[in-house]
Amino acid sequence: MEVKIENLEKRYGSYVAVGIDNLSIPSGQSFGLVGNNGAGKTTLFRCLLDLIEPDSGFVSIDGQPTNSGEDWKHNTGSYLDENFLVGHLLPEEYFDFIASIHGISESDLKAKLAEFESLFNGEILGNKKLIRDLSKGNQKKVGIAAALLFDPKVLVLDEPFANLDPSTQIRLKELLKKLKSDRGVTMLISSHDLNHVTEVCERIVLLEKGKVINDIQTSSATLRELENYFAGVRSESEA
Amino acid sequence: MKNLLTILHIDWRESLRSPLWSRKLLINIFMGAGFLYLAGIFVALGVALDDILLKVPMDGIDYNTYGPSFVLRRLDSFLLYYFFFDFVLRYFMQKLPAMSIRPYLHLPIKRSSLVNFLLVKTVWSPFNLFHFLIFIPFMFEVFNNLDFAPALGWSVGFVAIVYANNFGLNYLKRTSEVDTRVYLALLGTLVIVLGLDWFDLVDFQSVSGLIFNQLFLQPWAMMVPIIVAAGCYWINYNYLRHNMYLSRISKSKTSEISYVGSGILSRFGLIGRLTELEFKFIWRNKRPRSVLLLTILFLGYGLIVFPNPDYAGNTLMYILFSIIITGMFMLNYGQYLLGWEGGHFDHILTRNVSFKNYYMSKFLLFVLISMAAMILSIPYAYFGWEVLFVLFCVFLFNMGVNSHIVMFFGSLNPKKVDLTQRTAFNMQGAGAAQFLVAIPILGFPLALYGLGILLWGSTGAVILLGVVGLAGLAGTRFWISLLAAWLKRQRHEISSDFRNQ
Repeated sequence: MEVKIENLEKRYGSYVAVGIDNLSIPSGQSFGLVGNNGAGKTTLFRCLLDLIEPDSGFVSIDGQPTNSGEDWKHNTGSYLDENFLVGHLLPEEYFDFIASIHGISESDLKAKLAEFESLFNGEILGNKKLIRDLSKGNQKKVGIAAALLFDPKVLVLDEPFANLDPSTQIRLKELLKKLKSDRGVTMLISSHDLNHVTEVCERIVLLEKGKVINDIQTSSATLRELENYFAGVRSESEA
Repeated sequence: MKNLLTILHIDWRESLRSPLWSRKLLINIFMGAGFLYLAGIFVALGVALDDILLKVPMDGIDYNTYGPSFVLRRLDSFLLYYFFFDFVLRYFMQKLPAMSIRPYLHLPIKRSSLVNFLLVKTVWSPFNLFHFLIFIPFMFEVFNNLDFAPALGWSVGFVAIVYANNFGLNYLKRTSEVDTRVYLALLGTLVIVLGLDWFDLVDFQSVSGLIFNQLFLQPWAMMVPIIVAAGCYWINYNYLRHNMYLSRISKSKTSEISYVGSGILSRFGLIGRLTELEFKFIWRNKRPRSVLLLTILFLGYGLIVFPNPDYAGNTLMYILFSIIITGMFMLNYGQYLLGWEGGHFDHILTRNVSFKNYYMSKFLLFVLISMAAMILSIPYAYFGWEVLFVLFCVFLFNMGVNSHIVMFFGSLNPKKVDLTQRTAFNMQGAGAAQFLVAIPILGFPLALYGLGILLWGSTGAVILLGVVGLAGLAGTRFWISLLAAWLKRQRHEISSDFRNQ
């Protein structure tokens, strides 16, 4: 499904957190969002998921603006932060619930969770720990798995690699690549980790102060290019 | 010492900058007025204590026998109870400062400073200060009536006992916080002491007098409580000094939780499943769980009014009490309706569950628990069928009308409820809405009742309540859709409020 950002603007006072005229993410594309703290990545995702109200414009999924209808919720998996998790449930109970609201049968759920086994690394299921008592990294695993549980057509992840251990980072990358090639999921991923994001995403958009300042099709030169940009930003602020 | 003062200073600033102060003016006025009221009562009690003790009929302890010290002697015969109750009260309600040292543990500050900080901080706990509100006015009397040395002995001794209690409890609570045996032992002792006294087996009043009179008879006896208080401080100090590790202080109680699959409620489909999740929420978090326990406790609330001949046939009273009995949970839990879920509100907004179903599940929860309360109140029929009749009509009214009112107020700019906080008398999360909700909840049925009396008399008025309740129930879907529309309009504001809290 196609995700389209149209004339989106979100201001806090006179400060423009996000100001994007037109950005279209075609169906099946893996789209990476990079930028320093305060560049507007999370704000953009929150506008997309209808968690905050933009001052103007909208984001649409499959042609439907997310702030008017609710149908997109059937096809969109997302995990931004712990506010997406129900802390007083066991991971199993949370997955049960997500499966039930998406009409997934018990056996399908089992099969689905088996797919995540390597991602979970034995730390999520059967540990009798409530989600709120899990470590940040394990909470993230639960959130990502819940977002993927119902085979969404669109996937939105904020900083999916942060807080994860190296093995899980590698497994997650494999999983995301497979999702793209096998199921054609439209993926929107923000990250501070340039290595990971260039590896997973075929297109990278660079945000600065809410504006798109670069829009690149990923190639072997992309990582270098991004590193130069971020190194430059730093020396600028030091000067 | 310097470090200790610095930490105390930072701690003081923490209370100055507490989110409490940035709350709405209205609620702070309410809280402030409540606080002044309580403080006023204590001071007034202290001022009047003298006269009260003069009026207490106590043979043998009078002016003829003991002269000017007889008032104090009378008081002393109660102090043993007083301090025992104080201890029990503290055990249930006084909170130990523990987490506040977390940010200092890794800094080059002596452990002894941190330990002293934790202990010194309790000195101005309200549980110590309220004694002084009562007894400082009284101490003026003591100094008036007695010589300086005896008066000083008694007064200093009293203060020392307050702190002996404070630090003694601190130690007990630190070493046995989650131990239900202590809980039961305290309650058991209380029952036994009261029992022994009631049946005149042991005269605790004489014992108490004998002990506490020493403070002014032999002023040096004040050293005993001082030493006990210092000793308790020292035990605490020693304990903390050797146990001050994050894992021990914060005692993150990650007890094992067993998987609970979908139960009978999932037969109601999605709404039932949501309600099930809510039951899990209530059961797995202390604060909502205590709301549930309070509900059970308040089932007995009717015993105050129904058997009381003074209220016989006082339908107005019956109605007020019935609102509480069958609606306690709904009123108490529902006023924080969205606030409870402040921690995962983004989940609520992004999952594919409509707001209508969301509110429906809340409604189902209210109905189920109120229904249980109604069924458990059936024995009130013992006090007359009229009682049961009023209870039932009010139950219908609670379900049909009050439930929707509560849900609306609970959705009115909610505050995130901090589930990690203590449970007793916790006002966190309260806003103006939580105060205002009482007006329609009690006012509306009373107005309706008044109208009914004018038209058809008392019985007709009660029936009117029931009928209006049924009408409200019939319109449930409509009310819920209004609530859902309201939430849809407010969703962005609420979610960003939650995120910033």
